[in-house]
Amino acid sequence: MPSDEDFDPHVLAEDAFIEEVQSFQFWFGAVEGYLTGQSYGHDPGMADPPLDETQRERLITTLCNYCVGETAALEGASGLVSLAPNHPAKIFMATQVVDEARHLEVFLRRLNDLGVEDTTTEIVRRANPALTEFKDALMQLVAAGDWDAAVFAQNVILETMEFTVFRSHAQNADPMTAEILEGVISDERRHFGFGENDLGRRLAHDPEGRARLRDVRRDLDGLVLGVFEGALADLEVPAADRHVLGRDYLETVERLGLTQ
Amino acid sequence: MADFLSQYSIQRWIEMCPQGYLENTVYGRGPDEHEPEAILDDTEQRDAAISSTVQLVVGERCALAASSGLINAAPDYPSKRFLATQTLDEARHVEVFTQRLFDLGVKKDDLEDTVQEHANPNLVKFAEVLLEKVGNGDFLAGVVGQNIVLEGMAFTVFELLETANKELNPKFAHTLSGTIADERRHVGFGENRIGSLVREHPEKKPEIEQMQQEMTYYMLATFADAFSGPQVQPAEPPTGEADFHGTNLATATPEEMEAVLSNTVLGEFKTRLDRIGLEYQSPPVPA
Amino acid sequence: MTTSDASTSEVAPDKPRRQYDLDETGFNEVPKKWRKFYRHWGGPGDKLGRNEVVCPVCKIVIRSARELRPGDKVYCMPCMSRMIVVEGPDDHFIAEVIF
Repeated sequence: MPSDEDFDPHVLAEDAFIEEVQSFQFWFGAVEGYLTGQSYGHDPGMADPPLDETQRERLITTLCNYCVGETAALEGASGLVSLAPNHPAKIFMATQVVDEARHLEVFLRRLNDLGVEDTTTEIVRRANPALTEFKDALMQLVAAGDWDAAVFAQNVILETMEFTVFRSHAQNADPMTAEILEGVISDERRHFGFGENDLGRRLAHDPEGRARLRDVRRDLDGLVLGVFEGALADLEVPAADRHVLGRDYLETVERLGLTQ
Repeated sequence: MADFLSQYSIQRWIEMCPQGYLENTVYGRGPDEHEPEAILDDTEQRDAAISSTVQLVVGERCALAASSGLINAAPDYPSKRFLATQTLDEARHVEVFTQRLFDLGVKKDDLEDTVQEHANPNLVKFAEVLLEKVGNGDFLAGVVGQNIVLEGMAFTVFELLETANKELNPKFAHTLSGTIADERRHVGFGENRIGSLVREHPEKKPEIEQMQQEMTYYMLATFADAFSGPQVQPAEPPTGEADFHGTNLATATPEEMEAVLSNTVLGEFKTRLDRIGLEYQSPPVPA
Repeated sequence: MTTSDASTSEVAPDKPRRQYDLDETGFNEVPKKWRKFYRHWGGPGDKLGRNEVVCPVCKIVIRSARELRPGDKVYCMPCMSRMIVVEGPDDHFIAEVIF
């Protein structure tokens, strides 16, 4: 057996590290760890006791909004494959495309489990307008071919919001929804990590780019707040606790130098 | 349509690929498989292998751009979902063929120069015709170009290469067998999804057939380039038969190889296009 | 794994680094060969070893097979971040992301 040193990730050269973690091969080994044996994001033998009507209604609204977010992420990530400035980034984005499609699939399947047959209509009916508007803004950035701004909107803002909301939800959700969310959270770590690190490297020597992204952030912040408020209200997170949940996002923009 | 598309779920893809035929592979091959020394030690053979692998990288880069670009143009969620799996399949193909270039001794810093140097200009044109349709958000033409024409070509080329390498280079043959399994899904989706759309939009037929004609022209020109001039022979010819659609690749001349490859691809095009309600168009100028 | 109550102030710069045998702890979000280098964080009450530091980006504990020292660079594979180890305010190491 090789020793720990043979596989020590901390001794990799920076380029080798980036190439490794952005590869299909890495994604392949990572998801093998937490998706093996699962069916649509959960243990196929798991019991799913019925929820009371109020809980069911609230969960349907929450899942419909997750579907809006995941559709935005799927369409955003697929557009970003062509915009990616290098091949490792293209390959990473391709892994993200399939992750997002999986998230959409497991949430739609969960809606079916809860008795929602026409998911398309239900999603439109229950979508938070701020989230729909955020999706449109993201797609405009992608259509404009603006890699930095689109990665910021998608992999930093959207993914951090999802990570925060999903983690909060997983703590109180029914067991099946919680297990589905745990798998999604594991994927999200790669996505927002990629966003922060890719942008961080690109902005390190680009003060103009940083100033421009501050403007993008300013334009999107109102929507971000609306999305957060809506999601956390659906999850019945007490108003006093909500600012704590926004901390990850604020810390991220601070590390990227996008505050002010 | 809904029933057929339900076969293309992410769940099914996970069971078939990462947990199916790709399980225990590294860059698409067995963890202990390597390029044969006969190739690595012979400059001529190694250069020929690099050149042919570059064409695979060029084709797969085009497929990655096209499949990801088509997601936003797709008219329904199940198609988006399938194209998401195809996007990752294509990214994997880019990665495994790029890795083969590294295995053949290409330095990482020299990758793009190597691709530029060896990429066949006709194959680049072939890709440009397709990517123009994708760039315009033309889902119907894009899927025909990608999943019928490009994937149909790739499927047959990979089969030929796999047959030719089974004995001489099991590592490369193994890599190819995984990509062939992926391509089978891609061409299947193209045929099944597009047939109904072509019926709904008959007015699109002339434009799509013209695209197919152009792509076919550049494809045949690429094949002609690949099989013209002196061919590099393996130091030790294979001992067994390498039968590909009735031609023994171990003993075939370059002309015979080009003929069997072209005829097989074109035969596939005609059959598949006919099934989806399109008529195969011969290239305007004999390539 | 070998456990230890870590504090940066206990580390003498010229002292040889202590080695750690890492075992997997159930963290499964990276390929198998690297799983032992990471573990889930138990929150502020989670006592870190001298070979451990929390990733500020994704809140996973990064582990090393050797004792860490300020200035060391470590990688968080789950979120792809690179960081440098620095002295923390509470006798523990913290990590700062480097771009």
